[in-house]
Amino acid sequence: MMRHFHVGITQVAWVLISYNLVLAAAAVPAAHAVRRRPRSLCLAGLVVFSGSSLVCGLAHVFWLVLAGRCLQAVGAAFVIAAALLLLDAIHGSESRAVQVWVRAGILGAALGPAIGGIVTQLAGWEAIFLVQAPVALVPILALWRLETPRTVAAPITRPRWAPNLALLLGSAALSAALFLLVILLVNGWALDPAVAGLVVTLMPVAAVVVGRFATPVAPGRVVRAAAGFVLIAGGLAGLGLLPHAGWAWTVVPQLLVGAGLGFTVAALTEEALAGRGHPVIHGGWTIASRHAGIVVGLLVLTPVFTHELAQNKTEAKRAGAAIVIDSSIEPLHKLSVARAVLRELDAADGRLPDVRPAFASDPTRPDSAELTRVGASLQDRLERAVTTAFSLPFLIGALFALAALAVVSVTKEIAP
Amino acid sequence: MSRSVVVVAGAVALSAALVVTYAALGGGRSTPTPVRDPCGKRISKPTHGVQEATEQIVLATADGAACELGVTREELLLALGSGADLDRFASRHHVTRARAEQAIRQGLVRAIDDAQQRGAIGGTTAGLLHGIADHLPIEMMLAVLEKAAGAFSS
Repeated sequence: MMRHFHVGITQVAWVLISYNLVLAAAAVPAAHAVRRRPRSLCLAGLVVFSGSSLVCGLAHVFWLVLAGRCLQAVGAAFVIAAALLLLDAIHGSESRAVQVWVRAGILGAALGPAIGGIVTQLAGWEAIFLVQAPVALVPILALWRLETPRTVAAPITRPRWAPNLALLLGSAALSAALFLLVILLVNGWALDPAVAGLVVTLMPVAAVVVGRFATPVAPGRVVRAAAGFVLIAGGLAGLGLLPHAGWAWTVVPQLLVGAGLGFTVAALTEEALAGRGHPVIHGGWTIASRHAGIVVGLLVLTPVFTHELAQNKTEAKRAGAAIVIDSSIEPLHKLSVARAVLRELDAADGRLPDVRPAFASDPTRPDSAELTRVGASLQDRLERAVTTAFSLPFLIGALFALAALAVVSVTKEIAP
Repeated sequence: MSRSVVVVAGAVALSAALVVTYAALGGGRSTPTPVRDPCGKRISKPTHGVQEATEQIVLATADGAACELGVTREELLLALGSGADLDRFASRHHVTRARAEQAIRQGLVRAIDDAQQRGAIGGTTAGLLHGIADHLPIEMMLAVLEKAAGAFSS
């Protein structure tokens, strides 16, 4: 997308920010609207989502993608809000409906980057939207056959600030895990988007597995949320302290973040929906909080990591030149090698360059071994520098999780 | 111990174990590569052959010009690749192209004189290099140095 529209990573971040911002703003009004006509508004939402997906996929200018994303978010707000009432009609139980609704939300949020990466690799970024368009229409068939949901006669009460604030802060933390990790894998370590997509599926898998066993293990919602935020903070701190470049180092941190996701989101959503208030309205507030959190996370983290990447590029160039010049490579050859390395670094533009070809030489050269050694040493240093450029944003994500933990610790749990 | 305490304590233990292990393995630490101060006193090593003498002259030129312009030697070496590289360097460091050229020429002249005083190059070579430093347009001067470097290294 960056190459297609000649835009930077900051602009591309707005493809995510615009969607989440509009969804956060539209979630509560949509929840109010769907109380009376959930089925027809869900249908309308699906059609709007599908149509705007086509707009995004076929857009020839960048602002049209953003406009399409905003429309998608409006459609999604109606679909998500109405889904809670429709699930109630399907399952005949409000608590079961809430459970399924929450799990579907977690799965969707966590699987998004994974599926997006794979589809991008196979067919380009446009395919993500073009695939969404028909897929969004599939539920329409099921909706026709669904009985009209019962009207829930519950009072409209004020949203519960503590679980919603914790959801907001937790989502800001998770945006670091989901968004930055994909960028680190693809842009930082030059992994294929499809492989990166597969790597980050570890998080949703862990979230789903842990989510299934979370309630029997810890029946208290506040305890589950607290444990979850500790795991998310630990996982993000682990990503901020990766000792080496390589996806294998992200496995354990991802498992912790995924497990934390499985613990927290369901617990906090159930807590926000607990009590006598109208579930759809409170569900709307949880959606607004989660997506506002993603916006906050992206707005804070994007400038930090773009700045860190720029710093990293400058440092990499200095390191590249200094290491080569101070080496024992033959005096005049080292100057041309230094310049070849610097050209490579310039062309890499924040990605991890492979500088070793610049050190390739005739094996009969007297300094051939030194060239290989310096090349390997510089490559190692560059890998560390690219990885470290993502440290601060991940650590800020961990701080968001700790802030959410602080909010949870003062939350009084409502009896079910 | 209640189940709640066990769950939270387990989460804390897992997170702490990960963070401590990764920190112990050197995670998050990236020591900047030490870059020498171009204005610092250079210790002249005895040179063996034309290659080492030429290297010392080029590096001393870069040191002198970098010191004059308040940049690192590494940044300046990048600018010595071509005239276009020098233009980019000048605009990035908010100096005029003429000022950057002047600093490089002065750096080269000082480096030649130093090399001659040390006996690394003879009077004829020094005179030839002075001619290059004083009269050749900068692009041509860089090209001559590049070609000379290529010829010596092969």
